[in-house]
Amino acid sequence: MTAYLAQDPRLEDFGHDPWWLILIKIVVAFAFGMGLTVLGVWFERRVVARMAVRPGPNQVGPFGLLQTLIDGVKGMLKEDVLPRTADKVVFFFAPTVSAIMALTALSVIPFGPLVSIFGHRTALQVTDVPVAVLIVLACSSLGIYGIVLGGWASGSTYPLLGGLRSTAQMISYEVAMGLSIVAVFMTAGTMSTSGIVASQAGGSKFASIGGFDLYVPGWYGLLLIPSFLIFLVSAFGETNRAPFDLPEAESELVAGYMTEYSSIKFLLYMLSEYVAMVSMSSIMVTLFLGGWRAPWPITLWSGANSGWWPLLWFLGKVVLLLFVFVWVRATLPRLRYDQFMRLGWKVLLPLNLAWIVLLAGVKVFQGSELTSRNRWLIVAGVVVAALLVALLWPSRKAQPTPSLEEQVAARPAGSFPLPPMDLVVPPSPRARRAVAERQPANVGGTETSNDSDETRKEV
Amino acid sequence: MSLSAYVPIIALFALAAAFALFSVGVSQIVGPKRYNRAKLEAYECGIEPSPQPVGGGRFPIKFYLTAMLFIIFDIEIIFLYPWAVTFDALGLFGFVEMILFITTVFIAYAYVWRRGGLEWD
Amino acid sequence: MNDLKLPAIDYAALAPMLILFGVACLGVLVEAAVPRARRGLVQVPLGLLGLVAALVFVIAEAGTRKRTAGEAIAIDGPALFLQGAIIVLGVVALLLIAERSLEPGGPFVAQPARPVGSEADRSQAAGEGGATEAYPLVMFALAGMLLFVAANDLLTMFVALEVFSLPLYLLCALARRRRLLSQEAALKYFLLGAYASAFFLFGIALIYGYAGAITFSRIHQAVTAGTGSGVLLFAGLALLAIGLLFKAAAAPFHVWTPDVYQGAPTPITSLMAACTKTAAFGALLRVLYVGFPGATWDFRPIIGVIAILTMLVGAVLAVTQTDMKRLLAYSSIANAGYLLVGVLAMTPEGVSSTLFYLVAYGFTVIAAFAVVTLVRDADGEATHLSRWAGLGRRSPLFAGVFTFLLLAFAGIPLTSGFTSKFAVFGAAFGGGQVWLVVAGVVTSMLLAFPYLRVVVMMWLSEPGESTPSVSVPGAFTSAALVIGVLVTLLLGVLPGPLLDLTTRAGDFVR
Repeated sequence: MTAYLAQDPRLEDFGHDPWWLILIKIVVAFAFGMGLTVLGVWFERRVVARMAVRPGPNQVGPFGLLQTLIDGVKGMLKEDVLPRTADKVVFFFAPTVSAIMALTALSVIPFGPLVSIFGHRTALQVTDVPVAVLIVLACSSLGIYGIVLGGWASGSTYPLLGGLRSTAQMISYEVAMGLSIVAVFMTAGTMSTSGIVASQAGGSKFASIGGFDLYVPGWYGLLLIPSFLIFLVSAFGETNRAPFDLPEAESELVAGYMTEYSSIKFLLYMLSEYVAMVSMSSIMVTLFLGGWRAPWPITLWSGANSGWWPLLWFLGKVVLLLFVFVWVRATLPRLRYDQFMRLGWKVLLPLNLAWIVLLAGVKVFQGSELTSRNRWLIVAGVVVAALLVALLWPSRKAQPTPSLEEQVAARPAGSFPLPPMDLVVPPSPRARRAVAERQPANVGGTETSNDSDETRKEV
Repeated sequence: MSLSAYVPIIALFALAAAFALFSVGVSQIVGPKRYNRAKLEAYECGIEPSPQPVGGGRFPIKFYLTAMLFIIFDIEIIFLYPWAVTFDALGLFGFVEMILFITTVFIAYAYVWRRGGLEWD
Repeated sequence: MNDLKLPAIDYAALAPMLILFGVACLGVLVEAAVPRARRGLVQVPLGLLGLVAALVFVIAEAGTRKRTAGEAIAIDGPALFLQGAIIVLGVVALLLIAERSLEPGGPFVAQPARPVGSEADRSQAAGEGGATEAYPLVMFALAGMLLFVAANDLLTMFVALEVFSLPLYLLCALARRRRLLSQEAALKYFLLGAYASAFFLFGIALIYGYAGAITFSRIHQAVTAGTGSGVLLFAGLALLAIGLLFKAAAAPFHVWTPDVYQGAPTPITSLMAACTKTAAFGALLRVLYVGFPGATWDFRPIIGVIAILTMLVGAVLAVTQTDMKRLLAYSSIANAGYLLVGVLAMTPEGVSSTLFYLVAYGFTVIAAFAVVTLVRDADGEATHLSRWAGLGRRSPLFAGVFTFLLLAFAGIPLTSGFTSKFAVFGAAFGGGQVWLVVAGVVTSMLLAFPYLRVVVMMWLSEPGESTPSVSVPGAFTSAALVIGVLVTLLLGVLPGPLLDLTTRAGDFVR
């Protein structure tokens, strides 16, 4: 870790802005969230379309850029249906909760270093507090309320199930996400977002080729790669994005918790999903990808990390992550719910804990002033413990799959009748005729018995 | 560290709330209102909605189980954070204590796992 | 950050608690790793070994007087004595819990989550192996109790309170027979216990507001200095007392006792009656004697009234009971009253007599519940009083044993009941609390009536069609019964050694 550079904001630098500066900052942060959302929807539709060799929206405005705006206006002008069975008040306010919380999370994202705005020296960040990352986590958990309340207040079965599902999903992945950040805190020694960005400033010299120094960036995404990967996966789960978009699995739950919503309320849910994506990308950039700091080749230019330029690097990284979100959505199919929960609870969670313990052990080990004998004792102890864990690890015997007859016998009384097992489906007479018409050359020859198989395939 | 650094968070919250409530409110005014009895029924999946049991109905106990597990591990995380932040100062002592803590939670975790608390089917 | 001071920890002094917590955790792992059929075989020896090891450490620490773990835990005479008592009583109760020969599958339900009356429930009632989770839960409860009596600040005490309460709530719901009653009992216990915990926590907050500290020594300084708002002190102390008296089952916080004692599996009832009571009074002693002796004149009248009320409620309502477990529950309430009399002496004799009473009562009550587990018919235990009529003819041995135990409850000489009552009344008399002694003697006479009624019923009525048989106890129950009866007799005839021990152990460290 290098020392704080001059343009690096510290915690003490926050909380002194005059009111007009605060106002400018929150408006800009708000515009950042909304703007990236509006563009993000367009971006996603275009990218997915290109990946599917379609043009995507290209009619409204240049390159179809205004499509999202028009969609929003259209949504606003649609009738807002309030179902008879709904809990009126909660149904009305639930969509706003998600959107508000997703936007609030942007308040602690560092967009850039200290700059001068109208002669006032301030950081390009709405604010920073000692528990900034916790605020992001809190916002993302509070956002769940919007979903579960919306599902519950709809007074309808599928929304209720969708809401519960997504709550179970989001809290499961919140555990994984929360644990993955522990390693970052451990390395950075702070929870403030600007502090975490500052602690990723240093890079170690990797190699020197012909006078050029190659630097490996001190990004936690590289140093703590397991944490980063876990965070990335749980960010998908947390934002309900494909392949984890189970709450809105239309094949199972219609539209999940949004089924009963229409008009702007429906759009607010969509909006909050995209804003959450933007804020998740931003926090990922902050925690793991060096925040607003430029990556290596750009840092050769000494002015890269000062002034207003970092805003550009930050935006670039966020857009890159947004692209990853879209890319994954276009590539991967949706998971089944039990696979999904298994991934969260049985893979990510123990992996996370093991990684934290390993990292802590290594750090303690490096920092301690032990005699070599004690060091070896500790190493031996760790190995023995690991062996013990491996030995006592609860293993599951594979259940023998019952044969077809057993499965049939195990069906409860009153099940639907089954056709006989050895039933041979006779080929459809129409199919036979169609094949016969196409085989004029064989007229008069013997009818082959395996013909029926082929005919069925062709029909 | 004064609390003034928290003010912008509340300000952004207020701005977001104003936006959300404004858009919901405006759509009430500009959107059309055409009464239709069938439209006000729950949509569900397009066919006749299933009857709603009194009190919102009951849902699988698995969700409660997940909620309890979440609370346990969330609390574990809450304890892990301060330790992680002051990790360098706590050193070996903190490390050993944290291992003990993680182990105890892990015992419960192993139990839940073995008893099928993490299975969804 | 760098001047972080780590508290010195005396691991030997904490060893009993650490061992029990470790054994409990191991028990959970056993539940996770060992096949169902063999879990009981592992759990029982594991639990007994853990308790014995803990007892060894308690004995090895005898004479220690220190505070450790940053003043959070005090290891002194009363703490060690109470820990030893809880462990020994826990061993005896664990024997009852481990008994499997009386009922196929043991006293616990196989799968508590099964709906009552379902097909699966009928199959488990027919003798499926019971839930072995009971053993780790018992170990957690006992470990929590050990911490509870040694806690030297209010927060540690609260944590310990929760640690031993939560397993007990669960254990109450595990009865194999009459599961609805059992679950109802557990829910009542849980809800009321949660309220009591909340009161306790609120009391901690107020006391912290008064004294600016939560360790008993600092609270004591603040109380003797007399600075600060009296309202905070009295309200805080009252709320603390509510939390503790709830666990001790003193009136008017006793309402859960009969229902829970009746609904819980009988071995668990014996554990609660013996160990929970010991732990609760241990903590109450420490709070009043270490934290608030400066306010003696303020709290004594109020807790005195509670003591009298407790004795009266226990004695009067015991008369009207028709269920054996409920009768024993009300008797336990009345005994809480006598214990309070000893506590309120506020002298060293008060401490030692209370300690003596706790041990004597614990053994007697476990033995009594052991007999209750034996009297059974096809539906499990036959606890209705009318069913016990004529039991003397059916099984003179167990009726005789039970008669002896009832006489001990009634305080007849040559039983531990007499010596222990004598000790607490003597201490209260020495402490100038004549009014409590008078109330105690009067209610004792009142309380003798229901006991004698049972005795008369057992011996002087003819056994009818419905009189249940007395099962032949298995080795575990026999051992528990023999230990309980022998100690009851021994402490009645030869109380000297234990009295000496309690007198030597009666000094708190501040």
